[in-house]
Amino acid sequence: MPLIQVKDLYKIYQMGNVEVRALDGVSVDIESNEYISIMGPSGSGKSTLMNLIGCLDTPTSGDFFMDGVNVATMTDDELAHIRNKQIGFVFQTFNLLPKSTSLRNVELPLIYNGSIKASERKGMAISALERVGLGDRTHHKPNELSGGQRQRVAVARALVNDPAIILADEPTGNLDSKTGEEIMALFDDLHQQGNTIILVTHEEHIAAHANRVVRLLDGKISEDVLTHRAK
Amino acid sequence: MKSFFWENLRIALSELWAHKTRTILTGTGIVIGIIAVSLMSTLINGVDGLFENSMKFLGRGNLYVEKWPWFGDEDWWTLRNRPRIELEMADEILERSEYALVVATERGRSANLSYNELSAENIFIHGVTANYPEVSTVDVEFGRFFTGSEDRTGTQVILLGSEVAKTLFPLENPLDKLIFAGSKRFRVIGVLSEMGKFMGAFSQDTQVLIPMETFNKIFHGPWGMRRITVKVPEDHVEDAKEELRGVVRVLRGLKPGEKDNFAVNQQDSFRQTYQGIKMAIGGTGLIITALSLLVGGIGIANIMFVSVKERTREIGVRKAMGATRSQIQGQFLIEAILITATGGLVGLIVSTAVSLAISKFLFPASMSFGIAFMAIGLSVGVGLFAGLAPARKGAKLDPIEALRYE
Ligand SMILES: Nc1ncnc2c1ncn2[C@@H]1O[C@H](COP(=O)(O)OP(=O)(O)OP(=O)(O)O)[C@@H](O)[C@H]1O
Ligand SMILES: [Mg+2]
Repeated sequence: MPLIQVKDLYKIYQMGNVEVRALDGVSVDIESNEYISIMGPSGSGKSTLMNLIGCLDTPTSGDFFMDGVNVATMTDDELAHIRNKQIGFVFQTFNLLPKSTSLRNVELPLIYNGSIKASERKGMAISALERVGLGDRTHHKPNELSGGQRQRVAVARALVNDPAIILADEPTGNLDSKTGEEIMALFDDLHQQGNTIILVTHEEHIAAHANRVVRLLDGKISEDVLTHRAK
Repeated sequence: MKSFFWENLRIALSELWAHKTRTILTGTGIVIGIIAVSLMSTLINGVDGLFENSMKFLGRGNLYVEKWPWFGDEDWWTLRNRPRIELEMADEILERSEYALVVATERGRSANLSYNELSAENIFIHGVTANYPEVSTVDVEFGRFFTGSEDRTGTQVILLGSEVAKTLFPLENPLDKLIFAGSKRFRVIGVLSEMGKFMGAFSQDTQVLIPMETFNKIFHGPWGMRRITVKVPEDHVEDAKEELRGVVRVLRGLKPGEKDNFAVNQQDSFRQTYQGIKMAIGGTGLIITALSLLVGGIGIANIMFVSVKERTREIGVRKAMGATRSQIQGQFLIEAILITATGGLVGLIVSTAVSLAISKFLFPASMSFGIAFMAIGLSVGVGLFAGLAPARKGAKLDPIEALRYE
């Protein structure tokens, strides 16, 4: 049974009398421990798909199964639980809390975890920040960080709770190629450890880290191929 | 669950700290409400104590046969034209009444007192029978009360209220000194213990006591207070009152159908009137409290709605990171409760200070533990009530909508 199963998914926005088909019948199965790049032109529906897989959004129609369970049947608390424990989300627009320090931002998923003691949280958050090279920026607020640093705080926040699935929407978009490669090395590492990784990117060399590339065009899958990395 | 409480408390504290002015303005309504309710209860408690203290002078089981009723709305002229109370009825009353234990008579009027160069003006001269101590709480501090034979023979002896004694004898021992009351000379045989004020006005300490017969001999004419005080068993006051009315009607020769031309007064009528006043004060206080808590609560609900709106994106982020509805709801509820509880605490501190000042300068009024407990409970309740709708609204937000909110 696939870890994630998307069946004929539609997300349609009705803007007055214009219909925007952000997702126009997408079906895809993702196995556990896959490493997938989602590519496609701007506006093709990549973020929309990520939000749905991340259990943040609800489709207009179609089914979406997580570990065999239809997400549409889940209660609010079950969804919150999945978002907290199963999924680490790196948003395209970061979505950090502007008034909180990097440390507090990274601690956030741990706070809602419920089974992690307050005393352990800080240490876990610091080591996550160290992994993205921001061990010296723990007490900076988002507006005291560069764009790339904010992006790395967002990555650290996605990793800190050790989720099974990492959803990263252009995680290297604001980074120079060296820092970008460092972050990608982190993802490669997590993949090695058995995690499932789905990332959105516009860059072929980033996409090349994955072993499968899914291309979207106008809300439809135009190509779904295994890369040379896949064995 | 416990860890969220601390986390939510931490968030609420930093949020309220970030909007200090707003927090203070919002909390003010609660502060006023809590001051109103706790001060009102404290005052009522204090006045209650004062009242009970005053009532001690009257004695629960005493009935007073007088011309004027203490309370009531009878026509003034009718009352005015009633015959004065014949104190001679006292013996007959004792004989005919089943309930009467002691029957004493009292008269009174004011006069000036003097001793050497010192004088005390407008002092209430209270003529009483020798059994007066049995129907009152009067207490001789030093010296002695007069005897029955001193009363019968009209001896010119006098007992001074504590204030009077201080005025006339600031340095000397008043016992056995001769003082003037009007134009007559009296020998001081005792000084009464300090008793405090009756209902905060008439002080027992500024009166003097002389034997009834002496009073009759010296002060002629119809003026002044006169009454027959009948002591009855405390648990039969109502029956005894009816019986006493009957006895006096017979002694006065009233026919059936004729109205009473005298009054039988008792402590309970004070009590009833006092209860009425107390209800009025309490009711007013309750309305003020309810209104200010209501207005304060609406203000808090309003500011919480604003806060939820302002922090829509934050709610989105928290939900995306796995916050449940109840966790978000708790966050805003704690914030609302924190405002009201702090307001309640401030209100309590202010009213404690005010009641301390009242105790010091006016009358004993102390903030009880129960009142403090109620005030805090009430303010937490208002916070819970006011915060619920905004908190639920925030908790129900759709995560992706909230994240997109600008
Ligand atoms: N809330 C919304 N209301 C209306 N239309 C929307 C909404 N969100 C997305 N869309 C539309 O859906 C389409 C897909 O958007 P999406 O954000 O998924 O694109 P994307 O592939 O992530 O693009 P990019 O590479 O620029 O991030 C776009 O045409 C966008 O205008
Ligand atoms: Mg996008």
